[in-house]
Amino acid sequence: MSRFPLTPLLVLSLFAPAALSAQAAAPDLSDPEVAHVAVTANSIDIDAARFALTRTRNAEVRQFATLMVTDHSAVNAQASALATRLGVTPTDNAVSRSLVNGAATAHRALEGLRGKAFDRAYLDREIGYHQAVLDALDGLLIPTTENADLKALLQQVRPAVAAHLAHAKALRPKLGS
Amino acid sequence: MRLRLACIAGLLALAQCRPAVPPPRRYLVEIRQMAFVPEALTVAPGDTVVWVNRDFLPHSATSAGWDTKPLLEGKTGQVVVGAPGEVSYHCQFHPTMVGSLTVIQGR
Repeated sequence: MSRFPLTPLLVLSLFAPAALSAQAAAPDLSDPEVAHVAVTANSIDIDAARFALTRTRNAEVRQFATLMVTDHSAVNAQASALATRLGVTPTDNAVSRSLVNGAATAHRALEGLRGKAFDRAYLDREIGYHQAVLDALDGLLIPTTENADLKALLQQVRPAVAAHLAHAKALRPKLGS
Repeated sequence: MRLRLACIAGLLALAQCRPAVPPPRRYLVEIRQMAFVPEALTVAPGDTVVWVNRDFLPHSATSAGWDTKPLLEGKTGQVVVGAPGEVSYHCQFHPTMVGSLTVIQGR
């Protein structure tokens, strides 16, 4: 089983990019733990999108949120299929728990917002999230993953994350400031 | 009679002078890694363009005048090219994915 280091604060930066500047010890994550982190990260964005669908009245924001549900669900299906093929069970770990805690904080920030303020905050969150994921994929996850199948999946996912980021960045100016 | 024969001969001569029209061609565009490959194609009216989705995410090739409808992984969609001109298209799900067809007579 391959093991690779994953800086927890880098992963946490998916939801708080400012944390990127912090330094922390790099723990080893086993393949089942990495699978759990990947599924958790996708699930969190699906949940954020589902919440956005209950809140937004903007057609383009709805379309974007719907796409996030579809695409990240498809990624999770691929990750689950891979875990099954490899005979591993995704395992809860400190990084996954940190992700969940970070998502809860981000959710509370969105919960009090309505209308255009909500749309802007949701898109800002999505831009930060996808940029951080892209940085983590390029700078850490893809280069350090040893398992060929897992690396291939991460490489397949990368262009989708980049496309989501470009989509969110193109949509954000239409929502004003 | 002589005039009729002359007309027929003239028509035959005209037909021989007309440039040969190449038969319609079939082109394949792969959708992979969130991109149309190739992104740009030069085609002629009557040609067929086929898109095949190699990604596990759904895609489409959608223009103002036609739409392949959603293509799941491994599925194909096609269009028969119409009149000359520039045709831009995109994925209806991922609007940053774009491609183009340059349609010219005679290719």
